[in-house]
Amino acid sequence: MKTLLRKMYKWIDSRVELDDLVKFMGKKYVPINRHSIWYYFGGVSLFLFIIQVITGILLLMYYKGSEDLAFESIQFIMSKVQFGWLIRSIHSWAANLFILAIFVHMFSVFFTKAYRSPREITWLTGMVMLLLAFGFGFSGYLLPWNELAFFATRVGTDIVGILPVIGEPILVFLRAGEDVTGGTLSRFFGIHVAVLPGIFTVLLTIHLLLVQRQGMSEPIDAHHDTERKTMPFFPNFLLRDLLFWLIVLNILAILAVFFPWELGKKADAFASAPAGIKPEWYFLFMYQTLRYLPAHILFVDGELLGVLLFGAAGVLWALVPFWDKKSSRGEQNRFVNYLGLFAVIFIIVLTIIGWLI
Amino acid sequence: MITPENTAQAPEPGKRDFLKLFLGGGIVAWLIAVCYPILAYLKPPVQSEVEVHSVKAGKLSAFEKDSGTIVRFGNKPVILIRTANGNLRAFSATCTHLACTVQYRKDFGVIWCACHNGKYDLNGRNISGPPPRPLDEYRVVVQGEEVFISQKS
Amino acid sequence: MKYLIYILGFFVGSNGLVFGQAQKPVDQCVSCHNDLGTAEAELFKHDIHFAKGISCADCHGGDRRATEMEQAMDKKAGYIGVPKGDQISAVCASCHSDPEKMKRYHSSLPTNQFENLKASVHGKLDLSGNNRIVQCTTCHHAHGIVSVKNPASPVYPLNTPATCGKCHANPTYMRTYNPSLPVDQLEKYRTSIHGIRNKKGDPKTAECASCHGSHDIKSVHDAKSSVYALNIPATCAACHSNAAYMKPYGIPTDQFEKYSRSVHGVALLKKHDVSAPACNDCHGNHGAAPPGVESISKVCGTCHALNADLFSSSPHKKAFDERHLPECETCHSNHEILPPTEKMIGTSADAVCSRCHSEKENEKGYVAAQQMRSLIDSLINEEAKAQMLVSEAEQRGMEISDAKFKLRDAHQAMLQSRTAIHSFNEEKFAETVKPGLATIAVVKSEAKGAVEEYYFRRTGLGIATLIITILAVSLFLYIRRIEKNGQRRIKL
Repeated sequence: MKTLLRKMYKWIDSRVELDDLVKFMGKKYVPINRHSIWYYFGGVSLFLFIIQVITGILLLMYYKGSEDLAFESIQFIMSKVQFGWLIRSIHSWAANLFILAIFVHMFSVFFTKAYRSPREITWLTGMVMLLLAFGFGFSGYLLPWNELAFFATRVGTDIVGILPVIGEPILVFLRAGEDVTGGTLSRFFGIHVAVLPGIFTVLLTIHLLLVQRQGMSEPIDAHHDTERKTMPFFPNFLLRDLLFWLIVLNILAILAVFFPWELGKKADAFASAPAGIKPEWYFLFMYQTLRYLPAHILFVDGELLGVLLFGAAGVLWALVPFWDKKSSRGEQNRFVNYLGLFAVIFIIVLTIIGWLI
Repeated sequence: MITPENTAQAPEPGKRDFLKLFLGGGIVAWLIAVCYPILAYLKPPVQSEVEVHSVKAGKLSAFEKDSGTIVRFGNKPVILIRTANGNLRAFSATCTHLACTVQYRKDFGVIWCACHNGKYDLNGRNISGPPPRPLDEYRVVVQGEEVFISQKS
Repeated sequence: MKYLIYILGFFVGSNGLVFGQAQKPVDQCVSCHNDLGTAEAELFKHDIHFAKGISCADCHGGDRRATEMEQAMDKKAGYIGVPKGDQISAVCASCHSDPEKMKRYHSSLPTNQFENLKASVHGKLDLSGNNRIVQCTTCHHAHGIVSVKNPASPVYPLNTPATCGKCHANPTYMRTYNPSLPVDQLEKYRTSIHGIRNKKGDPKTAECASCHGSHDIKSVHDAKSSVYALNIPATCAACHSNAAYMKPYGIPTDQFEKYSRSVHGVALLKKHDVSAPACNDCHGNHGAAPPGVESISKVCGTCHALNADLFSSSPHKKAFDERHLPECETCHSNHEILPPTEKMIGTSADAVCSRCHSEKENEKGYVAAQQMRSLIDSLINEEAKAQMLVSEAEQRGMEISDAKFKLRDAHQAMLQSRTAIHSFNEEKFAETVKPGLATIAVVKSEAKGAVEEYYFRRTGLGIATLIITILAVSLFLYIRRIEKNGQRRIKL
């Protein structure tokens, strides 16, 4: 048995020079410091993405992306297919935990300034993936074609429509017409299962390769330590990663069984919107901010200004490695810390307000 | 790849075996716990997929002339009538009187409810007995050999 | 002065009755036509209009003072001859639709008759298309018009049937307007209690106009008609619920009240289900009479056919006939038929069976009633249990539309068993109940299965959690061990 495995390894090694890779992995060390815990959130996000891919493919086996059948097919999955309820609930829960995990991952990277040179590309790909994750959430939310999703999509795409010049064409492109219809569903379905996963996979590969190539970043203050503690990436760090994944899996299973994802009522374009239409929680802080803005700020439409401000803030945030020169030089940059702190507090407070109201 | 040999040497042989047994057994059990639901999920359900907007009633040849068949439409029964001259019609099979399931009576040529002798003609109109309203009509579409019943909008 | 009156009279004489009454001049029309001895003139002497001082010329036009025929009946003087078609009703309406004029004659008659007539079925255009089918004179005649209270009037209650029958009992005539309308109403009416009493000279019993109205007669399909299905109970009740009016006849007056509470009354009056029976559906309409004791099951059976058939072939048929018990009515009552419950059957005090059957008397039926009650009770109990299990499974978020679908069959068996009771035969009854119980058993097992599945999910989660936890703990211990051995590298 063991000799057979060894033979197989040799066979592959002689063709693709696996030895180099193994040597590289063997040499790889992960720094140990007081921020080490945050290293695992990248792995957790990866794990949740893998779960999304697997459960997503499984859902595709029975899901039907049309206005007539979308709701019924999910009902079918939930009731008739063995463990269908589990697969769908895990897909829905994992989607939310995924966004949560990448939020944590992003802020930990931000506060430890891990984005600084030479890891700008890793940061940028990560930011794009965050956007794509929002896209996943937004497009996936509509797929069950239930009342809530229908109206949330209407409101969500409406916001895009307020952009000057390009807003209307984008709105029509997203909705496949003037209004949210079966055409929108087909479009979102395609985006959710083909377009986004394709782009995401490419970015994820680059992201992971860069992490492997450049190794884990260390916090700026850790550089001054004379004794640097490390642990081997393989197997120590990897096993710890696996341990985290198992815990997340357990949480997911418990959530899926005790809080199965509701399906609600089938969407009806002619029904009046149910009370308390809210976007998913990760859009809530933006949604709530837009609601607080006055209708007009200095002759400019308030909502439009809000959307533009969020866009500008996003761009500023994504470009932090390029304007935060201090960190790249290994100096403390308190401004970035305060900015990050403000962003965290802003998001948490507005999300809570949006949730409660 | 983790193989027991290559991993670290344990101080006490007894403890090592115990832990590795747990780890190996845990991995196997975990794999089963993950694979079983997935395999069960992939097994197509016995009952064909339910579509509430329209159902496939079956092959045209399966419906004899001058006969009626009860077809399940979501949660409700629908009666598919093939008239003596071959026309297909479908109505809700729920009697409008007290919600019994109606049937086709060849001898009278009407849709008949066994509970209180309610009768409907082959256009679904209540013609005799207690039913207060006609039966709701469904649309029948024949595509090739297949007969589909769908809700009238 | 005389000259002035003459001029005034001349001025208005042709077109109005304005001064006719006040003046009482010599009416040349009457005096000449009386001399001629025509039938019209003879009849007119008894006419209420003549008594009120209304002249021939008031309807026919012309100059009532002119002694010469050519002058009196000159078209220039407004003479119209015999009014034709709609002209007839127009002449009548010129006074009868004018409250002012009618007041002058101290008349208390309503003034909407012509309006009503125009809106009624009789107000439609006739075959020629120029005139209404019915004019005032069709029913009231022309020259001998008397009060409706006068027995000589063609619309006096005792005469109405014949008056209406002139047209309505004439198939040749009726065919030209409404071929599908029966023409046997008068014939049937004469067989009814109303018709018999009417013939005997009782003006209080219902005749045509009592139910159909007079000037405002509408089609039976017209929702405003007094004989439209929804309005019939109220129409009959107008007399039959009037205790003072009905006193001489010595029959109850609570039928409408009872009917309104009955399953039929609720269906018709509250739910507006026009197919529900009104008074006439059981008593007949023109031939209205209470159905005979033996024919009750036939009358009810026109709708409740299965029950009637089962009853007729049941042992009760003979037993009831021998004792002169009215069939359906004995158990279900007549006007106040309430929705039946399973409590009606059985041997308890409130069960109808116990009225005749006891342990000592007619004991065979006593046993049967007991058994049938226990069967239907178990069906109802089991159905309720199945329902509860299904809703429990549903509450737990399980999908059991299959079982719910089957519950329909159980419900159907329950309804059918209630019909099957009328066979008053335990075996036949059991045949209906058994399949229902079998279906319920299937539904219960499916619902139980769904509830079990719910717990299976939790158990499954427990097992999975246990596995993951064991794995996580051993992994944790394993990592610790590796790290105890120092930062040793692993070779493959």
